[in-house]
Amino acid sequence: MITRRLDVPTSHATQFVDITSRLQEEVTAAGLLDGRLHLQSLHTTLGLTLHQNHGDGPTLLLLPACTVLVESGRLVLGRRQSVYAVEQDGPRLRQLALQLDGNFADRPESGRAGLDLVELELTRQLLVDPVAVQGPMRRLVEAGGKRLRPMLAVLASRLGAAHDPLRAAVLAAALELIHDATLVHDDYVDEAATRRGLPTVAAREGAARAVAVGDYYFAKATRMIAELGNADVTTTIADAVEAICLSQMDDVRLRGSYPGDYAMYLRVVRGKTAALFSAACRSGAQLGGARPDVVERLTRFGDLLGIAFQMADDLLDYSPSSGKPVGQDIRQRVVSLPLIYATEDPACGRRVHDLLAGPLDEEQVREVQELVVRTGALDRVGEEARGLVAAALRELDEVELDGVRPELTDLAQAAVDRIR
Amino acid sequence: MNATFDGIEGHLAELESVWEAGMHEAYAFYRTRAEPAVALAAAMVESAASLQELGHRPPAPPHLLLGDLCLARASRLLASTRDQRLQVGFARAVEHVAAAAAGGPPSPPLRTLLVAAIGEAG
Repeated sequence: MITRRLDVPTSHATQFVDITSRLQEEVTAAGLLDGRLHLQSLHTTLGLTLHQNHGDGPTLLLLPACTVLVESGRLVLGRRQSVYAVEQDGPRLRQLALQLDGNFADRPESGRAGLDLVELELTRQLLVDPVAVQGPMRRLVEAGGKRLRPMLAVLASRLGAAHDPLRAAVLAAALELIHDATLVHDDYVDEAATRRGLPTVAAREGAARAVAVGDYYFAKATRMIAELGNADVTTTIADAVEAICLSQMDDVRLRGSYPGDYAMYLRVVRGKTAALFSAACRSGAQLGGARPDVVERLTRFGDLLGIAFQMADDLLDYSPSSGKPVGQDIRQRVVSLPLIYATEDPACGRRVHDLLAGPLDEEQVREVQELVVRTGALDRVGEEARGLVAAALRELDEVELDGVRPELTDLAQAAVDRIR
Repeated sequence: MNATFDGIEGHLAELESVWEAGMHEAYAFYRTRAEPAVALAAAMVESAASLQELGHRPPAPPHLLLGDLCLARASRLLASTRDQRLQVGFARAVEHVAAAAAGGPPSPPLRTLLVAAIGEAG
């Protein structure tokens, strides 16, 4: 049995949110082959329904909970059937409880099994921390997250003769703590109210505590890595963390020349996102004792995948079913590729540029979103992200991957499957 | 203290203002106890705590980011020493003061902890 929470933000008083693709992602990520996906609304004014997706179905029946069968890893739904969360008192940030049970893919020491070790290690590490820092971080860790960086480290660690699942789990847990520590500080800088469906640490505990919690877990993660006693791994992570910090400063500085250009975007994204993806692959391979050429290939794989992941993340800002508030990047003036491409459009680019030059009310945020869609910028970014994933996978063509190729391929595809 | 003389100026990119604002004094203090890279790492950790006003009021966002960069660069400097005891000692020092700043158990002053870490590693 696997338990999950699914965030469903709504933007209207009454709204149908199609959550089918997100449920399928949960099934795929869990490796559920045959069984059941149980959903339950955690709100009295958020219903669930299985409905025809062209509005010509039978009378709508709203339920507080429902079950969808899973066969051969796919949700069992009719050709025109979808699962909807139905908002009746929005807009709000809603949450669904999920339970998946049945037969899961049995892959001995697979990424999933490795990830279970990582979860155990995270729990073990958090348990020994002072309550003042443990509480806020535990809430953030338990609220979810895709654990892509830990997964990459675990899989890469299997490519060498010195592979040790327990040491890989320590590295992977440290990577997750570094990622989460940066999120705690980022959320304070961006004045974000929620993260993974919960109030941010700064919003809930106050900014001063958020700063201390971020520092604590940055230091703790650094220590966990140092205690592994692999100097190459320590250097790789230290370099990546510095790149992240420099990029965050760059990001804030560049908001003055918003929306920026492609070169600027790439520079920020390489630091902000790709540095830790790349370091996760590299350090995992180093810890496992992989050959130097394999370490270099995996480093490039992680870099390209990280950029693709960020591009896909940019697209989610335009998707109401993504689980993230729509238009948030525009409101926070985050450097984002769809906006950069939209400003290059001969017909609408000038208008997009003019709108972004000043403060935006909600109506103007919506206008920017509509213009971006009209220019085809989303398709262009989607194609580019998929191209980068293909390039990342080509980096591994010549590498003997000791049976982890399918999982690395799945992971890479999952980074952009979110935008389908 | 002359950063060029000790060959550490290359580690001060983006942190020149922090160096001028007081990091050089902390560096001078630690330099009598440790080699340049370690002394600079200690001075950076102190500067981070000061910029981020740990245990006091929330810092301005640019100060938070500068503090993060100080911590990150200190970590890289320590990585370059390949001295595991120093890396662990410095990390524990930050853990102590950060936990105290978050409302956890009280901590000795950061400088005391860093000096102890340098002494134990040395």
